[in-house]
Amino acid sequence: MIKYVFRRILQMIPVFIGVTVLLFILRAPGVLPGDPVRMITGERPISDALREQIIKKHALDQPLHKQYYIYVTNLLKGDLGESYQRRTSVVDIFADKFPNTLRLALAAIVIEIIVGIAAGIISAVRQYSFSDVFVTLSTSVLVSVPVFWLGMLLQIFFGIRLKEWTGGAVFLPMSQMSSSQFPDWVHLILPAITLASVSTAYVARIMRSQMLEAMGQDYIRTAEAKGLTRRAVIFRHALKNALIPVVTFVGIDFGVMMSGAILTETVFSWPGVGREIFLAVGQRDWPVVMGGVIIIVVIVMIINLLVDLSYAVLDPRIRYGGAQE
Amino acid sequence: MAALLEVRDLATHFFTRDGVVKAVDGISFSLDPGKTLAVVGESGSGKSVTALSIMRLIQEPAGRIVDGEVYFKGDSVLAMNESQVRDLRGDRIAMIFQDPMTSLNPVFRVGRQIGESLMLHRHLSRKDAFERAIELLDMVGIPHPRDRARDYPHQFSGGMRQRAMIAMALACDPDILIADEPTTALDVTIQAQILELMSELQERTGTAIIMITHDLGIVADMADDVMVMYAGKQIEYGPADSVFYRSGHPYTWGLLDSLPRHDVDEKGTLLPITGQPPSLINVPSGCAFHPRCRYAREICPREVPASREVGEGHFAACHFAGQDGFVRGAAQAGGEVA
Repeated sequence: MIKYVFRRILQMIPVFIGVTVLLFILRAPGVLPGDPVRMITGERPISDALREQIIKKHALDQPLHKQYYIYVTNLLKGDLGESYQRRTSVVDIFADKFPNTLRLALAAIVIEIIVGIAAGIISAVRQYSFSDVFVTLSTSVLVSVPVFWLGMLLQIFFGIRLKEWTGGAVFLPMSQMSSSQFPDWVHLILPAITLASVSTAYVARIMRSQMLEAMGQDYIRTAEAKGLTRRAVIFRHALKNALIPVVTFVGIDFGVMMSGAILTETVFSWPGVGREIFLAVGQRDWPVVMGGVIIIVVIVMIINLLVDLSYAVLDPRIRYGGAQE
Repeated sequence: MAALLEVRDLATHFFTRDGVVKAVDGISFSLDPGKTLAVVGESGSGKSVTALSIMRLIQEPAGRIVDGEVYFKGDSVLAMNESQVRDLRGDRIAMIFQDPMTSLNPVFRVGRQIGESLMLHRHLSRKDAFERAIELLDMVGIPHPRDRARDYPHQFSGGMRQRAMIAMALACDPDILIADEPTTALDVTIQAQILELMSELQERTGTAIIMITHDLGIVADMADDVMVMYAGKQIEYGPADSVFYRSGHPYTWGLLDSLPRHDVDEKGTLLPITGQPPSLINVPSGCAFHPRCRYAREICPREVPASREVGEGHFAACHFAGQDGFVRGAAQAGGEVA
C-alpha cells in the first residue's frame, strides 16, 4: 500500500513537468500576442531605464529554459511569483481565493451526494414508477442545460421575481454579504445548486443504473433467501456494491470543483480560484495563470490518488501493491 | 402425520410481452423430514421456478403464483404475509444456488455473510454470529476457519464458496434445504466432494433436501423420491427406485437412455431425446412431450394426459402409462404398443 502511494506520487512528477513546460511554451515570444512589459506597466509610456529594470526583475531577458529553471526553483521554495497586474504575490492571491472555492465546492458536493444518490436509489427501487420517470427526465434536462444559463435563471427568479421576499439579496457578491438580511450561508445556496446541477444529474443516473445492476445479481437472491427485509437487501447488499462507481465520480468531480468553477464563479461573482484564473487570462497576467494552473494540477492529482485509495476500502477485491494471495 | 412440505397443483406463470410463460403448471409433491427429493428435468423445465415459488421469491409483478397450495408443517405458505414468509426463509427453509461465484456478495466478509441469518433469526450479536460462522465453516470442511471467515468471497475457490454457501444455508438448522443445481458450476472432483458433504450433513442434522438437478447420477446416489418435470409440468413422480427401474413415462426413459453407462463393457450408442425442449409460451397441445416422443399416438396431441398411478406412490402422466407392453425399450426394439 505504502509502496503504491509512493509510486503514484513519483508518477506525479512527469505530469507536473509536462504541465509547467506546456505553460512555459505559451510564454515564449511570438506564441501569444502582447509584450510582457506592456502587460505589467499598462498603456502609459515608460522610460527605457524602467523597462530595463522590469525585464531584469522578471528575468525576461533570459532564454526560456533559464526562465523555467528560475521559476521551478522558486516554486520549490513555495514562491509562485508576483502578479503583473496587482504586484502582490500569487501565493497570497490564491490563499485568499481558495477558501471561497472550497466552501462552494463543499456545499455543491453535499448537494450532489445527498440529492444525486437519493434520487438514483428511489429511481432504481421503483423502476418505471412516476418517481423514476421524473428523475430520468429531469436529469436529462439538467445535463443539457448550460451551467451559466441555469445560474442566470436562478438569479432572475430569486433575485428579481421574488424580490419582495428576498430583497434581491440571495446572490449578493461576497463583498456585500455583511449588509444582507440573510446569514452568510444563504448566499451559498444558489451558486452551490448551480455548480452541483450537472453533477447531481450524473450521480443520479450512475446510481440508478448501478443499483439496477446490483439488484439483478445472484447475491441479492441469496440475501432474499436468508429472509432479510427488502430494506436490508437494498441498503446493505445492493447499495455497497452500487456505490463504488459513484464514489469514483464524486471524488473526481470534487477535484474538478476544487480547481474552481469558472462559469459558476463568474456568473455569481464568486471570488474563487476559477474566477481569478478567468480574469487573469483576460489580463494576460501570466504568473497568476501559471500559479493557478499549478495549484489545480496538484489538487486534482492528490484527489485522484485519494479516490483510487478509497476503492481499496470500498471494494475488497482491489488491494494495492500487496502480494497477499 | 402431515408431511413437512406439501405442494399441491402449484402453478407459477410469468406475464411477458410475448405472452404468458407457464413456467410451472400444476405440480404436486410432498416431502417428509430428513428425506431427499430430486427434481429432474432439462433446462427451462421449471425446476428453479418451483423452488423459488416455495420460497415465495418469484419476482412480482412479472411472475405470479397463480394456483395451488404450499403447506409447510400444515401452514399455508401462500397465505402468509410478507413478514411471516421472511421468518421462514433462511430459518426453516434455506436455499443454495447454482453458481457460488456470483451468489456471495463480493463486498462482505464470508463470516459476516454466514452470520447474517443468525443475527436476523436467532438475534445473535454480531460477534456471536461471527463465532458461530467460524464453527459452521469448520463443519463444512474449510481449513483454518477462523482466518477464512475474515476473507472475502474472491479469496475462496469455487468449491470453497459452495461450502460457504452450504454453511450459510445450514446456519439456522433449517428443516428444508433447497439446492438448485449446487454442483453444476463446479469441477467434477469438487462436485463429488460437495455432494458427499451434503449427504453427510443431512445425516447429522436431519434436514430434508430438495435437490434440483439434471444429473441423474446425483439422483441415483442421493434421492429418496424423484420428480421429473417437462415444460413446467410434472410428468413422473415417485420413489427413486421405482422411477429408475419401473419408469412409466417415455420422457424419463429418454433421460435414462441418454445417460452414459460405465457398468457395461460394450460401448453402446447413447439414445438422445431428439428435438428441442418446447417454448413455454407455445406449449404443444395435449401431452407437451408428444412432438419428441417415439411412442406418440393419435390421442397425444389431443388430450392432456392425467397422472396415473403405476406403482405404489409412483405416478406418471402418460396416456399409456402402466399398460401391458408399454415399457422402456419397446420402441427401439421395434415393438408396437398395445
